[in-house]
Amino acid sequence: MYICLCLGVTTTTVQQAIDAGARSTKQVAKACGAGSVCGRCRHTIRTMIAAAAPDPPSNKPDRLRRRWGRT
Amino acid sequence: MSLVLAADYRVPDFDHWWAAIAGDLARLPGLGAHIVVVYRSLQDASRVFVTIGVRERGPVDALLRSPVMFSWFDSAGVDEIPPMFVGQVVEKLNLDTGTLEAGPAVTSTGSPAAVIVGAIAPVGQLDRLRASIHAAVPRLAASGVRRFWIYRALDDQAEVMILQEIATERQAEQWIHHPDAAASFMAEAGVGAYPPLFVGRLVQTIKLPVT
Repeated sequence: MYICLCLGVTTTTVQQAIDAGARSTKQVAKACGAGSVCGRCRHTIRTMIAAAAPDPPSNKPDRLRRRWGRT
Repeated sequence: MSLVLAADYRVPDFDHWWAAIAGDLARLPGLGAHIVVVYRSLQDASRVFVTIGVRERGPVDALLRSPVMFSWFDSAGVDEIPPMFVGQVVEKLNLDTGTLEAGPAVTSTGSPAAVIVGAIAPVGQLDRLRASIHAAVPRLAASGVRRFWIYRALDDQAEVMILQEIATERQAEQWIHHPDAAASFMAEAGVGAYPPLFVGRLVQTIKLPVT
């Protein structure tokens, strides 16, 4: 999916930025540009950051860990 | 080549938006759009699932950042731009007749009573998914699934949008809570940027003039 329409940044690219350590919308914007123009996709970016945040394994569905490559 | 753009989002005042949609529709052919299909959620009256069929005219990036696209969301009162699926149809199954056929880029439900279940999700290997769906056709049909459309994302070969037309709301509910193994992709919806499973009905299919 395309997250940032302004720059054509996809889910994959934003996820790569998060996997590389971005933990805020500013850091994601710096890494790949997503959310740096109109800023109207930042809610989605925050959702992705939250989904990748460390969480006790027992509280995170298996499918979440699978999707984002966590074990 | 024809593309399908799709987004799942909330319109703060659906009736107001719908009453004034003519202005938005008039701008879409400038993007190459030829058809718009609007579905409305059964559980959340403000939630819509919109697909737009576009005859490809240039780079996808240019299409997405077009002022027309932003105007579409602005007119609906949508502040947060939702993730946009961009893809192409790879399969259309009509389980009523048991035939497998290539379908149009965008299609719509055939019966007002029918329920559409939409999922955008990563599926791993698409060929494997398609094979499992083919093998499950009799079971899907017995569960009330009448049509099954698969679209593959342009930006991620493992990502799909799947629209399922199910005969009745009751059967749709049963299907969602007790899906066939072939429909395991439904469990992947709602994770991260992917919207939760959409369950709704067709509002209208709008064919746009060709420019």
